[in-house]
Amino acid sequence: MATMEKSKMIGDGKSPSQILKDIALSQEGILFIILVLTIMILSRSNENFLTTRNLFNQGRLMAEVGLMALPMTFIIITGGIDLSVGSILGLSAILVGYTWSNLGMPLEVAIVMALLGGSLAGFINGLIIVRINVPPLIMTLATLAFYRGLAQGISEARSVTGYPEWFFGLGQGTFLGFPSQLWLLIIAIIISITVLQRTTLGRTLYAIGNNAVGARFSGLPVDRTLLIIYTFSGFMAGLSGVIFVSRFTTTRSDMGNGLELDAIAAVVLGGTSIFGGKGSIIGTIIGVVMVQLLRNGLAINGVTNDATIVVIGSVLIVAILVNNQIQRLRQSE
Amino acid sequence: MRKFLMTFIVMLMMAALTVTVTAQDERWDGADDLDVAPLQCGMGDEMDESDEGMDGDDEGMDEDMGMEYDGGSAMGAPDMMGEDIVLVDVPKLIGIGYFDATYLGMQQAAEELGNVTVIQGGTTEANIDDQVADIANYIAGGEIDGILFAANDPVAISPVLEDALSQGLHVIGYDANSTPGAREWFVNQAEFNGIAKGMIDSLVAEKGEDASFGIVTSTFTTPNQARWIAEMWAYASDCYPELEWLETLEAQEDAVLSFNQANSLINKYGEDLDGIFGMTSVATPSSADAVTQAGLCGEVAVVGLATPNAMKPYVDDGCVQSVVLWNPIDLGYAAVYVARAVVDGEFAPGDTTVEAGRLGTLTVVNGSEVLLGPPFIFNAENINDFDF
Amino acid sequence: MDKAKPKNVSLTLWIPLILALLVFGAYRFLPFISQPELGATTISVLTESRSNNELGVITNGLILMPIAASVLFLLGLWNFANHEVNRTTAAVTALMGVIMLEYYVVFAQDYMQEEATYLSSMSIGFWVLLILGILMVLQVFLPRSTVEQEFKLTKMIANQESAIIIALVALILIVGISNPRYLATRNILDVLQGNAYIAVAAIGMSMVIITGNIDISVGSLIGLLAIVSGRLVVGGWVLGGWEIGGLMIGGWIMPAAPIWVAWIVPLILGAAIGAFIGFLVTYLRVPSIVVTLGMLSILKGLLIMWTSGQRVTDMPDGYLIAQMKPFGISTPIYFMIILTILAAVWMRYSGLGRSFYAIGGNAEAARLSGLSERRIIMQVFMINGVFAGIASVLYATQLSIIQATPPPSLELFVITAAVVGGVSILGGKGTVIGATLAAILLNAIRSGMIFIDVSPFWIQAVQGALILITVLIDLIRRKRQRL
Repeated sequence: MATMEKSKMIGDGKSPSQILKDIALSQEGILFIILVLTIMILSRSNENFLTTRNLFNQGRLMAEVGLMALPMTFIIITGGIDLSVGSILGLSAILVGYTWSNLGMPLEVAIVMALLGGSLAGFINGLIIVRINVPPLIMTLATLAFYRGLAQGISEARSVTGYPEWFFGLGQGTFLGFPSQLWLLIIAIIISITVLQRTTLGRTLYAIGNNAVGARFSGLPVDRTLLIIYTFSGFMAGLSGVIFVSRFTTTRSDMGNGLELDAIAAVVLGGTSIFGGKGSIIGTIIGVVMVQLLRNGLAINGVTNDATIVVIGSVLIVAILVNNQIQRLRQSE
Repeated sequence: MRKFLMTFIVMLMMAALTVTVTAQDERWDGADDLDVAPLQCGMGDEMDESDEGMDGDDEGMDEDMGMEYDGGSAMGAPDMMGEDIVLVDVPKLIGIGYFDATYLGMQQAAEELGNVTVIQGGTTEANIDDQVADIANYIAGGEIDGILFAANDPVAISPVLEDALSQGLHVIGYDANSTPGAREWFVNQAEFNGIAKGMIDSLVAEKGEDASFGIVTSTFTTPNQARWIAEMWAYASDCYPELEWLETLEAQEDAVLSFNQANSLINKYGEDLDGIFGMTSVATPSSADAVTQAGLCGEVAVVGLATPNAMKPYVDDGCVQSVVLWNPIDLGYAAVYVARAVVDGEFAPGDTTVEAGRLGTLTVVNGSEVLLGPPFIFNAENINDFDF
Repeated sequence: MDKAKPKNVSLTLWIPLILALLVFGAYRFLPFISQPELGATTISVLTESRSNNELGVITNGLILMPIAASVLFLLGLWNFANHEVNRTTAAVTALMGVIMLEYYVVFAQDYMQEEATYLSSMSIGFWVLLILGILMVLQVFLPRSTVEQEFKLTKMIANQESAIIIALVALILIVGISNPRYLATRNILDVLQGNAYIAVAAIGMSMVIITGNIDISVGSLIGLLAIVSGRLVVGGWVLGGWEIGGLMIGGWIMPAAPIWVAWIVPLILGAAIGAFIGFLVTYLRVPSIVVTLGMLSILKGLLIMWTSGQRVTDMPDGYLIAQMKPFGISTPIYFMIILTILAAVWMRYSGLGRSFYAIGGNAEAARLSGLSERRIIMQVFMINGVFAGIASVLYATQLSIIQATPPPSLELFVITAAVVGGVSILGGKGTVIGATLAAILLNAIRSGMIFIDVSPFWIQAVQGALILITVLIDLIRRKRQRL
């Protein structure tokens, strides 16, 4: 919503300084300023923080959460939530190993199976949410346990290792000098931004979030849209699962445990309203980057992990708090 | 639409029920069918030794002595002989008593050596992705000379450790191993088969050779626990074929869940249950509590891995007779000494022993593992001598 | 009413056919057929005991089941010819259900008399048939879409609580038939007690959810308060002496506090933290999910910084309230039941309790009618904190040792109990009784899976599936009622 407002404002023929102020004081603008400040502080105390090697490595580490946070943004914009993504990640990771090792299929087929499995898991979420009107939180809370259980059952708690070398290129290799999964993330970001801002699907998401009943009455394909984004969420979790396996060279049924909260935290940190109707991909990406760099920067500076999670929790609350106050002030102006 | 719902629900039910049957004699351990090496049966003298507080039985442990060094090496590591070094400790997770104790041991060693600083790393969750990210952070930070790790998964942690080795960092494992090539040395607290023998022998000593028992573990995917159970299985089937394995239950690292699971075992098998094995320092005290609160002390034996402090109340009550564990403080202590020796060039591939301060000389087993010693069996007489 | 009819009819048309298919399918998987080697022994055991069975049921399942399936199939075909058959369908389906259940009565009798163990090795078909049988009988009581077919029972089944009770009873019956030890008093009490602290926390969580908020931090909060309580009663800890970044701030070594202090302080501290959360949510307008997501990390981090993993042991005996057993029943069960009833009554009849529903249902309207939304939300978070405090004391005193780390994903357990219990996540609906029942159900499922020998690798999946089924059945039932 905020980005939509922004583009509208630019079209209104305001002075350049006014436009600049609007951008700086938008949700994303403020987050971006906080992010830059964080990076400046962190890089001053350790020269190894702001190196390409470290930043590329961080890009590698945040790719999975980033990939899952994108559809999560869509879902939260509609006022829903998807708690099952971490479990879907684990399930698809297991599917890669199971199809390849136990069923003896080629690894390419196994990857496709994992992506299909992830999408199917997301589709089932969406279908039941849409058709029976189960609140997304309940549905995905139940499938959080169910998909994780399926992963454990299918794998019988065995891990699969010994994948061919080429497969590790996805999770550990580089492509044109960039970590390979970062390319995937960048492509996904571009697609997501385009979808959210330039297509009817994107506008429908905001409409659903603002007023689901109204959207339905005005003839928007609410059900179909929701089905698409939950399936998309499952697909992205499946993709993350494949990257996970490639990065860790093994499959375990407990992979991705708790990642759903990381993804949600990144999305809400990015200014997407949990009540729906507001939010942007840019904000989410800033959120993902901020959490990742904070973890990294604090650790590099010798802060232990227990203190780090206190800092990240506080930043989450304070960032939203500051942003809310500023947006409120701007509105009252 | 409702047709779909009906079918979906019914399908779910079918799926849920397809799996209700299970063969009881499967090995539920998640140890990936790795090879097991059960020790020789040796019940008789075992008792005397555990009275002294030490299980000095290390026969069979030197079988692998002849193995070639199979660890990795730190590429282009600077020569830091005698200079101050900084090591980072990356345990499976922080905030639990066990890894607090290993960290304490590391600090003791660092203090003794004087030229080592150990900083605390590690994450608040035992997740492989968090752990790998944490190690990557320390590598990127560039302020450390070595990593001491306890792996959440042997394979998953290996790429990042290999990366550390290629950067010239020294990598020493303790408590939970990685693949051998991804680290230089691994300080092995006690061999899997030694623990397994200690556990089974303790139970047999209490309940006889035809006892039946259940196991409460953390998860099937926790590598160490899985290996111990696998070794217990192998040792028991070799030495005490009459022992009856009833069930293995998961209880995460959740104290109340462990308590509930142990209660369910007690209720399900009733008088058929002679013993419960606790595989973690959460599961063991919880199982002991379940037995105590059920008033079954003496009827149901609890044997398990746990730190003495956690078990004192139960051992003092007489409800638990033996607790199997190594000394985690010594484990951390040894890891730092090994790291120092590697940095100083005093401990290189091919060596068969290493000096470790107050612990004396430790031997190398399985190619690239430093063995801390046989597992320790705590009982009512000696448990109050320990504080960790 | 009439408008909705064609839809209903088309569904009921299919029911018997689907059921027939399922019964055939399940029959195919009966152990005698699918596992001949097992069947040989089982059948011989069965027929032996049959020869002197007093019930007079001469046939065994091998003959009964195909009959039931064929009847259902014919019924299904007949349904296509005659559309107005709601009641008949229900009755005949129920009758077939009775026949199937009869089969199990015989089985149970054999089991009791012969002490045979073959029940524990039964396969899919056995369980599917049993569940189908129970469902077929139960469906008689389900509300029908036409007025004349509604009877008073439907009113009783009209809320989530009874859906959970039915699920609970069905589960206990199924597991109990398979393994009578499940029904032993001691086990039933353990099932009730096991999740008592989760149930208590879920009461508070339900209230928060009813007002349209959520609290994700409850797991960390319970862990922290439990350690606070334990350290208070044991003493010897340092107040104010906190090591931050190598800097040690001086402090006082605390003496052991009286037991009642250790019981009360977590409640007060919980309320204070709840007030802080409430303040951020209401006055500073940060959404509750953001605040509590942050607090989840903050509280957990503080807990680890404070304890660095040190457990608390050596608590005095009088402190261990959860281990006391007045009248042979352990105290957590009393706490759970009494608090649930009190909370339910209070929510129903007190002004504040009712205003929770008002805020959750329509905050705007509630504000217009003069309710102070801010104060109410503050209060609900404080009450939630108190319940978390009680839960933490129960958790701390359950064992003779308090682990420094809270149970992983405890918050998800609590939220699951609250939402499965029928607290609408959109706010404004639901009761706390459902939450408590759901917490019990979760533990009954966990325990039951052990008693019927579900493969340990699949336990989690079965648990997840059962939770999903409970939720879906409830929602479908609600939807039918609305039609």
